[in-house]
Amino acid sequence: MTTPVKIDNLQKVYLTKKRQGLFKSSVREVEALKGVSLEIERGEIFGLLGPNGAGKTTLIKCLTTLLLPTNGRAWINGFELTKQDDAIRSTVGCMLMGERGLYWKLTGRENLVFFGALYHLPPAERARRAQTVIERLNLGEIADRAVETYSSGQKMKLAFAKALINDAPLLILDEPTNTLDLPSARELRAIVRDLNEQGKTVIYTTHIMAEAETLCDRVAIIDRGEVIAQGTVADLKESISQETVIRLEGVIPTQASTAVSGLTGITRSAITSVNGHNQLTVVTPSQTAVLPQLIQTLSSHGAILQKITPEEVTLEDVFIAHTGRTLAEDTAQ
Amino acid sequence: MTTLTYTPPTFRNKLSAALAETRLRLINVTRYPGQLVMEFIIPIVFAAMPMLLGQATAGDDAAANFAANTGTANYVAYLLIGANIFSIVSSAFWHIAYWVRFEQETGTLEAVFVTPTSSAVLIAGVSMYSAIRSTGTAIVAFMLGCLIFRVNPFQGDIILALLFIFVGLIPLYGVAFVFGAVVLKIKESQSVLNLMQWLVSFLMGIFFPVAVLPPFLRFIAQLFPPTWMVNGVRSALLGVGFFLENWYLDMAVLWAFLLFAPLFGFWVFNRTQSNLRRNQGIGQF
Repeated sequence: MTTPVKIDNLQKVYLTKKRQGLFKSSVREVEALKGVSLEIERGEIFGLLGPNGAGKTTLIKCLTTLLLPTNGRAWINGFELTKQDDAIRSTVGCMLMGERGLYWKLTGRENLVFFGALYHLPPAERARRAQTVIERLNLGEIADRAVETYSSGQKMKLAFAKALINDAPLLILDEPTNTLDLPSARELRAIVRDLNEQGKTVIYTTHIMAEAETLCDRVAIIDRGEVIAQGTVADLKESISQETVIRLEGVIPTQASTAVSGLTGITRSAITSVNGHNQLTVVTPSQTAVLPQLIQTLSSHGAILQKITPEEVTLEDVFIAHTGRTLAEDTAQ
Repeated sequence: MTTLTYTPPTFRNKLSAALAETRLRLINVTRYPGQLVMEFIIPIVFAAMPMLLGQATAGDDAAANFAANTGTANYVAYLLIGANIFSIVSSAFWHIAYWVRFEQETGTLEAVFVTPTSSAVLIAGVSMYSAIRSTGTAIVAFMLGCLIFRVNPFQGDIILALLFIFVGLIPLYGVAFVFGAVVLKIKESQSVLNLMQWLVSFLMGIFFPVAVLPPFLRFIAQLFPPTWMVNGVRSALLGVGFFLENWYLDMAVLWAFLLFAPLFGFWVFNRTQSNLRRNQGIGQF
């Protein structure tokens, strides 16, 4: 059976202009992908995780033929990237830019039928397929209204419906729950799970680790253009199972968190701000051994601690263990 | 071992996709009825300005003076033809450039480029839409203008005039593709469109025969297909005289443009698109 996605050392370098005043600019190279290699098996939901700017969307754009990779090779549904692009496009369903990518003056149904035509479905089949997708996603009540009258969540749902119009065996969903409220996001994830159970392979990018934990069979964590870890969620957690996590909340000045990172017995630490309070996450092999000196160091550097919680390892902690940064910190940047 | 197979689209599939693109745009424009009404009015207003200026300055001799320089005393039809052909030419540039720019901004350009429909088919669909819209509105505006200014719209060889328009449309869209490529590259359409409109309106002679231009400018003007289009229509309807004496020779020049311009235009567009894919992509705006 053909592997749906095989990526071998994919690199992407592009040029950006850096403005220097009104008329001057300099060109610099950005290495968006630094030799990514991945293999995605048929029938799995594969999560691509990482903060904003990590390279997830660049990778997705390469895989959907919107960008040409600078180096490396990839095969999608058995077709080689850059050599069989039309075949790739016809066997992939994409949701790439959320509610963008829809014609707002047209109705939802008109959008679906139009994209059906671009996937070369015969006219009767376009209408039938659009109706199937509308029913599948409960879009019946709004399908014949202009998209401009839709709520943000309804537009996202229609964009998702568009990805299903060609009934492709591989779905590539780039941050599909962005801008969705919690119930709508949960509903969309349930549909993705359902489609996966019907045999579709799914690539699902997100910067929300909890979303990946609940949905994905396997994940790859991308950071600064590199895959820094990949495996099942359980495997990744297991990979730092000898580690434990302590979360400390309160007022934690920068010098205090910097001092902590130099303590012996601490693998990684990272700080985020939540509602004006700081949260320091510390990854350590032994909570009991480091806790006294941890509290002492923080206090001596002016920290006021309000809560100390030993916690179970999450995917977020896997990211911290590999990068020394939190996702929230990177995403905010 | 299960392997996915891919069957390339047939000509029928491609035509169906192009027609879907055309249909989408025609549906879209019907949702802006006010814009369509304006398109009927603008060429009439455009032609009315030099018409009224001519009448004001030349008085009763306006028609005779005009005939001495252009070959026809029917200056109303002459100017209406110029304004309406210019409206077709201008629409071709606007529609192609606006398609690229607007869809870049709304994200739909990437959405259609991830489908297996090639950019050539998409462009063909947009061009068909543009040609239907602009030719339709130009014909209605011409009739309306003739009605308002009381001249007979049904004179001369109407079939030949329409032939000049339809043959001229194809190389015109070839030039518009080059223009679309420029917009794709520089990610700006307004200023380029404005400049292009003035240049084109001057060179194709919407209000005057290009014969009055200095030799170098006349040569430049005749490298541009719409110049042959507008003169062909005027000659067919008003008998102002073909550039090469006979209609079939002028038509042959348009056919030469027809064979070359669309291929060149599409080659430039495709090349620009490939270059963009090599860097940050067509969706970057």
